[in-house]
Amino acid sequence: MTAEYTSPAVPPPGAAPPTAGPPTDPPADPGSTSPVADLPVPPDGAPLVEETPPPDDGTPWQRLDGRMIGADALRVLLSMAPAAVALLVVGVEPDAGVVWPLAILAAWGAFKAVRNTVRWVTTRYRLTDDYLERRTGLLVRSHRSIRRERVRSVDGEARLLQRLFGLRRVKVGAGQMNTAMESALVLDAVSRAAARDLHARLLGEDRTAAASTVAPSTGAASTAATAAAGTPAGGEGPEAAAPTGAAPQQLSRLRPRWVVYNCFSVWGLLMAAGLAWGGWVTLGMFGFNAFAWVRGLADWGAIGVPGTVAAAVLAAWALGVVGLAVNFATTYAHFRLERTTGDHGAVLRTTQGLFRTQEINRDENRLRGATLSEPLLWRWLRVADPAIITTGLSVWSSASAILPRCPREHARGVLTEVLRAGDDDPLRARLHRHPAGALRRRLVWAVAVATTAIAVLAWLAATTALPHAVWWVTGAVLLPAGCGLAVAGYRSLGHAFAGPWVVVRSGAVNRATSVLRTGAVSGVRVRQSLFQRRLGLATVTVSTAAGYGAYEAVDLAAPRAAEFADRALPGGVAAFLEADPPVR
Amino acid sequence: MTSISLRPPRHRVQRRVVAWWTLRALCGTALAAAAPLAAWFLWESSRTWTGPVAVAVLALGLLYAAVTPSWRYAVHRWETTDEAVFVAAGWFVRDWRIAPISRIQTVDTSRGPIEQLLGIATLVVTTASAGGAVHVRGLAPDVARASAEQLAEITRRTPGDAT
Repeated sequence: MTAEYTSPAVPPPGAAPPTAGPPTDPPADPGSTSPVADLPVPPDGAPLVEETPPPDDGTPWQRLDGRMIGADALRVLLSMAPAAVALLVVGVEPDAGVVWPLAILAAWGAFKAVRNTVRWVTTRYRLTDDYLERRTGLLVRSHRSIRRERVRSVDGEARLLQRLFGLRRVKVGAGQMNTAMESALVLDAVSRAAARDLHARLLGEDRTAAASTVAPSTGAASTAATAAAGTPAGGEGPEAAAPTGAAPQQLSRLRPRWVVYNCFSVWGLLMAAGLAWGGWVTLGMFGFNAFAWVRGLADWGAIGVPGTVAAAVLAAWALGVVGLAVNFATTYAHFRLERTTGDHGAVLRTTQGLFRTQEINRDENRLRGATLSEPLLWRWLRVADPAIITTGLSVWSSASAILPRCPREHARGVLTEVLRAGDDDPLRARLHRHPAGALRRRLVWAVAVATTAIAVLAWLAATTALPHAVWWVTGAVLLPAGCGLAVAGYRSLGHAFAGPWVVVRSGAVNRATSVLRTGAVSGVRVRQSLFQRRLGLATVTVSTAAGYGAYEAVDLAAPRAAEFADRALPGGVAAFLEADPPVR
Repeated sequence: MTSISLRPPRHRVQRRVVAWWTLRALCGTALAAAAPLAAWFLWESSRTWTGPVAVAVLALGLLYAAVTPSWRYAVHRWETTDEAVFVAAGWFVRDWRIAPISRIQTVDTSRGPIEQLLGIATLVVTTASAGGAVHVRGLAPDVARASAEQLAEITRRTPGDAT
């Protein structure tokens, strides 16, 4: 394929100010073809992040914080501690199986310490009137600068060691780099005060708000103040929100019982395997044979194979649950979701973490909608996974999950508040059911797949040594399970319009309700297979430059497909509607 | 039988595109059949099952190459207005796509070697979404170029942020 002719069809920057769509979106990059290409581009066409030095105005350069060295010294000591304890205190015989892991551990610690020291020596940064600049690198020098008005986020995070020394890792985002899941510029690490200062100077927030978020350990004290300052969220746009410097509005915080919803998962078994293996290796280093200990716990021979397997699965499951619970508690401790207002409009900010603290800021101007997923096993408990649909963020990035798994009603309330959709309440909108043909389509598929599997197994049983029990047991499981999923899938189908929001819901195992602003829809697609045509169904996909990029209303009544498309893409479809719609 | 209440787009494409689709289907069939055929020639003990597999792949591929190009041609239509680009495509699964002018990012024409030989071109309209670009295959080259220029011109006049 040769592209012989290309015409950039985007209006020249500055010639046509953005009038449609969500507010304050700069014109998109004409050359950008990445899946989520809805990115701000500077009005003068300059890149967001520059690799050449801007004019020097004499501002002194600053170093990263010297306490990094202290943290690294401690890191070296800690990485050598297991070796010291094993060899000196416990008096383990130093054979190869013990020495190598300990040596690798110590070497890794020393390597990281040396790397950090080199970074401390070679890195300088400064904040001039126009630019944030950073010079770094030992062999390959790099000079990176971001124009201050392009800075969209300043996120701080700290690992345990860094927290002990009052250090913060600061990630500065200029919008563009978020697509590649990396920040425009990282300063690792500066002091807590310097991080707070950078945040305040770059995003123009008042000091109290910045202080309460950069230092999560003091969160309890500031929570009361921020909760009292909550402003009512209505249909007002981001510009109409509280003035610059207002105290953050708290939208949600962690409830301890959420840990129950987050500690049962398939990943628990994997985690248990990892924990068991790690424990076995560690204890083995100290000359303790965990395997023999487990074998001595009970008379496994008397219990028999099924009993032993059941006990193993149960133990692994329990270990996994505990592991996930601890993991959740440390990651989401002090979790808060807030809305703050800075120079560039409102920002949704989450702060969380017990040992490793993390703060993520999301530009509200990029918000296009939200998704509420309800996994099948959790639906009866009315628990859901909320996420936001936003441009410039990968769907796999943790930044799109603004809340952990939590009760559905709470998630709906928070998402509605986040979207400022209180008047229309799209997440609680009554959904239109899809026609019975959709149920028939799912049942036919379920039966077809199950019968094919049964037929293949029966044929194998007839021609090979496969026992006949296999095919009828498979059939007895597959047929009802398939039909059950078909019914569940049909019952989860739905769509609605609520004010400027289009709502679609689908999914048998993971029922996902997606709410998308119609102004953010960048195209519609109607698909209809021959089977769907016979059943009077059609699937409409609305595409957008955010989140998954496409959201589907599956198996609508065919005559309503065009109407749905027309409402999802106002004004774009009317010219293509049939003059006399067929009789329904 | 229930159809959706969209009227078909106004313009059909060049008949020559059927040849292009046929060629593409034949190339795909050849690639898919290459593996079992190679095994049949090189590995004698496998002939009992690679033979039937190769025959099945070839038969299905040839059927596909015989049926789908004219089916696609019958379905494939396109239209541009001052507000949107409207394309209908597909065969077993039919596919209607509407991209509003205000959301268009780039308009390209592209011609692969075989398309150049057949004297046809493809119009590619990109919007800012993961849904992918809208392709109109099988246009006469001058028509494709004129439409691309016209679309670019309309897009320049249309206020929008292409998101």
